[in-house]
Amino acid sequence: METSAFSAFGDSFKERLLTLYESRGYTRYRVGRFEEYDLYARNRSFITGSSILTFTDTDGRLMALKPDVTLSVIKNTPIGGSLKKLYYSESVFRAPDPSSGFSEIQQVGLECLGRLDPYSVAEIISLAAESLGFLADRYILDVAHLGLLRGFFEDSGVPEECREELLALAEAKNSHEASLLARENGISEASIRVFDAMIHLRAPLADGVRTLSALPLGVHASDALSELARLAVALRDVPGVWLDLSLKADTRYYSGVVLRGYIAGIPTAVLSGGRYDGLVARMGKDAGAMGFAVYLNLLDHLAPAPARSGADVLILDEGAEPAALLKYVRGLTARGLRVRVDRAVPEGYRYNRLVRFSGGEAHE
Amino acid sequence: MSELLNVALPKGRLGDKVYSVFERAGFGCSELLEAGRKLVFESPENGVRYFFVKPSDVAIYVERGAADVGVAGKDILLEYAPDVYELLDLGVGKCHMCVCGRPDFTDDGVGSLRVATKFSRITRKYYASLGRSVDLIHLNGSIELAPILGLSDVIVDIVETGATLKENGLAALERILPVSARFIANKASYQFKYEAVTDMTARLSRHLEVQK
Repeated sequence: METSAFSAFGDSFKERLLTLYESRGYTRYRVGRFEEYDLYARNRSFITGSSILTFTDTDGRLMALKPDVTLSVIKNTPIGGSLKKLYYSESVFRAPDPSSGFSEIQQVGLECLGRLDPYSVAEIISLAAESLGFLADRYILDVAHLGLLRGFFEDSGVPEECREELLALAEAKNSHEASLLARENGISEASIRVFDAMIHLRAPLADGVRTLSALPLGVHASDALSELARLAVALRDVPGVWLDLSLKADTRYYSGVVLRGYIAGIPTAVLSGGRYDGLVARMGKDAGAMGFAVYLNLLDHLAPAPARSGADVLILDEGAEPAALLKYVRGLTARGLRVRVDRAVPEGYRYNRLVRFSGGEAHE
Repeated sequence: MSELLNVALPKGRLGDKVYSVFERAGFGCSELLEAGRKLVFESPENGVRYFFVKPSDVAIYVERGAADVGVAGKDILLEYAPDVYELLDLGVGKCHMCVCGRPDFTDDGVGSLRVATKFSRITRKYYASLGRSVDLIHLNGSIELAPILGLSDVIVDIVETGATLKENGLAALERILPVSARFIANKASYQFKYEAVTDMTARLSRHLEVQK
């Protein structure tokens, strides 16, 4: 298991993000590292592509090192009355790639639970964009609405049995195979062209909504389009928010808006989230829910190259008078030089200058 | 000048075919014609930097962002399921993923079918779709040996002409899926080098249309 949770570099962004969430009235949610395994067993596919580390507690219960925070937040938060606005900074334990073993992943994020109103949804998307803006100058927050493609499938008579496959192809922007599959399932050429336009649509949110509005989407997609249009207006002053309908999420848990965030220099999404009313409903609660997580460990990609190891000056102590040598070393370090004193040159050690010191004298 | 697009191409015969598609689409690189030990070839005038890697590694280079775009076989994409965009079917390197074995072999459906392959995920999925239980034997090379030496009943492998199978007394028994080279892109590069990636996709696509 990889035990280095995150670099100091990633950690340096954490406090800024937490301060941002506090500034919008979100309060800190703290969880322990363990949770009963049963919670994840019942919602296994919500923890996508990941194994779970388990152990038997002293009382015989099967426990897990948390692979996720959202499930614990929903389980442990009483919902009702006012919105619950929570943020967290926690480690989760996952093995996203089974060949690489488990990793401790540091993530910060927020969750908003309760009767979500349009402002709250817009604010969460804005906070997601602002979070990315804290991490890098160049960032993009992709937004999709799961109701659009689903609604389009209804309107276009796409058979239920090929919808998941079409969504998977949409996620890869694979229009060549999507077209073949659609034709095999008797979908009209006009609908295939619209589907193709949707999965390749990528534009700033307001422009994207305008483009979508000009497509013959049908009635089932209209609610989703209207919600996106309202969001585009609400978010008009928030930079970096783009529309990309290829984002996919498990519709057993997610409904409505889905988010993915990218920053320049990191090859994968550093932020993901969305509206997960379905998950809350599966856990027996009647409420809306939306949130996102930022994966701080990925920021290692942006960390500056580590300082060159070794010393500017290596001093060989050949019978030096300690006080004189100490004064000499302090003089060098005061000039910003890195100094190491030793009795012989350490094997493989790198240095720029070698100085021999005997008695009270330095000799180059 | 804008940033170069890093392109990972497969080494070998497929790489030569694929590069000629890129060249004819306007992404030539004269450095590639120079003999030598260089590993990276640049054409600033065409906005590209090529490097050639093992075919099965292209998707890793692209998924991890060392390359912005690349060309990988559909077999590799299905087997390793990298999180990348698959933007085009280049239509080169065409072959089939097949079940192969002795020409007279028939599966009697009794017990588990012993199947040797490099493509475990594809094989498992294929036989699961048939409801057939298999004893999967993962090998890394010389797959054809497995049925000859009795290690397996059949193999699942890529078949281009069938000549190697024939030389070893084997034949393609069932076709699982067609395979060809696909143009793929890293998801973050698609965001931040959108114009360059979509321009390359469009020019390759236009070239392929003309070739039809």
